[in-house]
Amino acid sequence: MEPPIYYKRSEYIETDTGNKVSRRATIAGPQNIILGGKTIIANGAIIRGDLRRTGPGHAVVISLGRYCLIGVDCVMRPPYKTYRGNFNYYPMKIGDHVHIGSNTVVEAAQIGNYVEIGKNCVIGKFTIIKDCAKIADGTIIPPNTVVPALSLFAGSPGRFVEDLPESTQEMVEAQTKQYYTRFQPEADAR
Amino acid sequence: MPPSILYHCSCLSSSPHPPPPNLPSSSYSFHPLHTLFFCEECDAVRCNRCVSIEVSSYYCPNCLFEVPSASVRAEKNRCARNCFMCPNCRNTLSVVPSDPPDTGDSRLSMPISSLNEPPFFLYCNHCRWDSAEVGITFEKPTGLAAQLQKYEDSAPDSLEFERLKEHFEPFLRASSLSSTIGGNTTAHASSAAHSHHAHSNSITAAASAALARDIPGVSKYQPLTRTTSGRGGSGKDRSRNKDEMPEYRSRVEISKTSAYGGGEADVELMDHIETIGSIATLEQRWVNSWISPLQTKELKPLRIPLHSKRSKRCPSCTHILIKPEQKAQSVRYKIKLVAANYLPAITVALPHAQKAKAELAKKQLGKSTAAAVEDASISASNMHAGKTYAFHLALSNPLYDPIQVRLSAPRMNVSTAPVKDGSPEKARRPPFAISLPSSGFSVAAFAEAWEYEDDEDMFGVDDGDEFGMKGGRETDGRGKVRTVGVLERRANVTLVGGEVVIGKEARGDVKFNMLVSYTYRSDDPTPSESNDGDGPSSTSKSSSAANKQPEVKTFAFYTVVDLGHIIPRDEPRAETDF
Ligand SMILES: [Zn+2]
Ligand SMILES: [Zn+2]
Ligand SMILES: [Zn+2]
Ligand SMILES: [Zn+2]
Repeated sequence: MEPPIYYKRSEYIETDTGNKVSRRATIAGPQNIILGGKTIIANGAIIRGDLRRTGPGHAVVISLGRYCLIGVDCVMRPPYKTYRGNFNYYPMKIGDHVHIGSNTVVEAAQIGNYVEIGKNCVIGKFTIIKDCAKIADGTIIPPNTVVPALSLFAGSPGRFVEDLPESTQEMVEAQTKQYYTRFQPEADAR
Repeated sequence: MPPSILYHCSCLSSSPHPPPPNLPSSSYSFHPLHTLFFCEECDAVRCNRCVSIEVSSYYCPNCLFEVPSASVRAEKNRCARNCFMCPNCRNTLSVVPSDPPDTGDSRLSMPISSLNEPPFFLYCNHCRWDSAEVGITFEKPTGLAAQLQKYEDSAPDSLEFERLKEHFEPFLRASSLSSTIGGNTTAHASSAAHSHHAHSNSITAAASAALARDIPGVSKYQPLTRTTSGRGGSGKDRSRNKDEMPEYRSRVEISKTSAYGGGEADVELMDHIETIGSIATLEQRWVNSWISPLQTKELKPLRIPLHSKRSKRCPSCTHILIKPEQKAQSVRYKIKLVAANYLPAITVALPHAQKAKAELAKKQLGKSTAAAVEDASISASNMHAGKTYAFHLALSNPLYDPIQVRLSAPRMNVSTAPVKDGSPEKARRPPFAISLPSSGFSVAAFAEAWEYEDDEDMFGVDDGDEFGMKGGRETDGRGKVRTVGVLERRANVTLVGGEVVIGKEARGDVKFNMLVSYTYRSDDPTPSESNDGDGPSSTSKSSSAANKQPEVKTFAFYTVVDLGHIIPRDEPRAETDF
């Protein structure tokens, strides 16, 4: 068992469903963001829930599942395009057990469950990442890329490297749950 | 990276012992637990190197459509829809209409089908290659593969391939007729490399005969004489097949045509080369384009190669170990026999490094630089020659019954191996000595409920153990008294301590083989304390039931534990030369 990862209690807001959101993260348009529970938003992360589709009413811009991690200084921004002459933003949907490493920029349309994205990556607009896929550190995924299930992508442009082991789902599930357990407020001192 | 632990797969080798871990070649025999399989029939670990593989379905990695295996061959293993690869950078190409890629404002980027005006072309949004550069445009944005078919089919390479196919057709038909007796229908479309079946032998032989042909500028292909058992002399086979075949004449004599490069034309081109980028790289030529031109500007987009889902079989008894669900993007399996569900998972830690890391992390708290912590922890995990270090092994039990575990580190890896390869300096004194708990210990059964707990006392103090962990937690002091033995029990995890004494003159890595043998009982849920005291390595790889109790089985497997690098005495502690 890995040692705990401590944070200052005053620095994080914990919600009823166990989400832990850093006070030093920028959450724009929180009414348009859904967090599934037990999801961690780290320091310096920027989540642009304000970039919503034009038009009246309420809209979910970014949804995150359970046991996700948005790493330090990540930027999560919904994808956009001009379709039939109209510029618009499109929603971003992220499944359960998805970890995104620090300094990564995500403009994906859809990320499945049990997905690991490394640090310092750029995930281009409208990218679709299927279940149990992994993006290595420093990968640049160009816009509109499809990353199939259980595959490892790396490089610039991000390309298929290899198939991941059959037990990836269990591995990632255990790892993300463990991370959430390890992530705890520092014992009273300091 | 270290400390780490890898599990041994014998890959059907008859030797009961794993290779010494200090040999670089041993890395082929050791694997992370989560990549291994387990055959219940053979009661043995299997790995990706030794399992037999069969393709169970094909799909396009971009449009994710499944391709029936019947059409895979006709479509040359590539997507026949709208999926193309950039010949320059291998990114997936987009179809874009020809209205101008507007303005200079790159933030608005490529409008994707904004006005839909023909002609359409393929565009790479990574390197900005576009198919208009090579004269390929489309009247409509659908069915591109069909529209491109005429270009692709008229490429000299593909014409040559068709001719080769025609040439071998009668022979292939004859050999497939004879192979239907073998009855394996799944192997037909997979490449010869993946097929472990005897009937592919003659096809492979025919193909290698064709490959052995001289091509100017390409060094001669030397087929390796494969001496796999059961093939009955492949060398003879090949020559016989060769005799049966009429001689093949290529469509064009490549050395005599100037259209496809070679000779003077290439020299001329090279003379006027301005940037190295104008010459296509080997990868671009051979992998990324349906023709293989010398010049980058002639590269053509290629349909995306299909991916496959694969079943895996035990190489010994051919029972299925892995059988994926048919649906292309499903991550579920109909059959999945992975070693992690049978063998205890072991993690290794160096407490001195962990402590240093934790302290560092505490210092860094509040500053948002996680990277600095990682860097600093690397130097903190260093081990110095002439010192003694404790290490922790955490064993978690995947079984619904408790297991009784014994650990041992056979001496052979330090004593015998170096003697043989004749480095007396090392052989005289083993560079380090390993102490492991000498008696067996139990690891409690896995229970579903523990899996979902998020409670606080995951890291809490857990005293009052019947095995008597001496004293409290690590923080009370680091006496050497209790470093070896059971340290802690929590749910289905038992933490044991070991110790490594590093010699004064030691160099290299602290890397040793460890034999793990465990006894389990499939019926009775209570832990069996009555483990008869026979030696840990006496029952290896066999399910020898102890006489007194039926249903008690022992399984043993080897691992290699890597604790990390030794910093030699004389050198300064800053950086090592490795
Ligand atoms: Zn193997
Ligand atoms: Zn496709
Ligand atoms: Zn490109
Ligand atoms: Zn078997």
